[in-house]
Amino acid sequence: MASPTLTRRAFLPAGLALGSLAAGTAAAQNAPAALTTAPVSQLNLSPRLTMHAIDTHNGSPGVGMKVQLSMHDGTDYRVLRRFETNRGGRTDEPLLVDQSYQSGRYELLLQVEDYFAARGTALPKPNFLAQVPVRFLIANPAERIHLAILFTPWGYSYYRGS
Amino acid sequence: MAGISTHVLNSGTGRPGAGMRIDFSVRDGDGWKLVKSITTNADGRTDQPVLAPDAARTGQYELLFHVGDYFRRQPGGNDTPFLDTVPVRFAIFDTQQHYHVPMLCTPWSCSTYRGS
Repeated sequence: MASPTLTRRAFLPAGLALGSLAAGTAAAQNAPAALTTAPVSQLNLSPRLTMHAIDTHNGSPGVGMKVQLSMHDGTDYRVLRRFETNRGGRTDEPLLVDQSYQSGRYELLLQVEDYFAARGTALPKPNFLAQVPVRFLIANPAERIHLAILFTPWGYSYYRGS
Repeated sequence: MAGISTHVLNSGTGRPGAGMRIDFSVRDGDGWKLVKSITTNADGRTDQPVLAPDAARTGQYELLFHVGDYFRRQPGGNDTPFLDTVPVRFAIFDTQQHYHVPMLCTPWSCSTYRGS
């Protein structure tokens, strides 16, 4: 199921960010946005799936987190897309919206070990957490879902936010 | 004591999460091999260790918490469930250490961490 929502505009920068990670400029690309404003309310927005990754180890948005979104097809989780979080720890576009926002079982897979390794955080090998699965249901596609994901190298939590 | 243990807490009631099924698996190649299914006792813990100290090996493990089934059985139910099964994947990186991995949950949230 290919969604038109997070394609050209958001994927191209994500690909460029990946390329520059390889080129060793991860620090500049992954600098969190300055925390100078309050979050914007999503009250009354149309049904959609949005997310926000928050690095509670560093007290910053989870910037440049590599994430894979999958949907369960009755047998297994099938990848819908891969992306990176932006400088606010969010995504430029909703993950699912309009016709792509359907009831079902979903999983976000977060590359938490890579995230902290790229920041030089001291970690055991293998790290306690590597790829963190965040599973949730969209039970009622008439209702918006915002997923807040708080993580450290040693734990995480996620919840239905607003 | 090394090995793996867990504890389920229902953060909505402030009570132990009793009677929750947990599937414990070990990484096997590209997939996960089920070791055993456990049900939490009245204290939200397991009667036997999830993984005994002498069985601990360095590697990747998974605890699959059946959070959705648990909350369906609670008073009030939940007609638009948000959580069903919640997998927690973690590594034993030193077999001399113990890994306590709790699950704190409500119908709308869950949290896990390396506890003690």
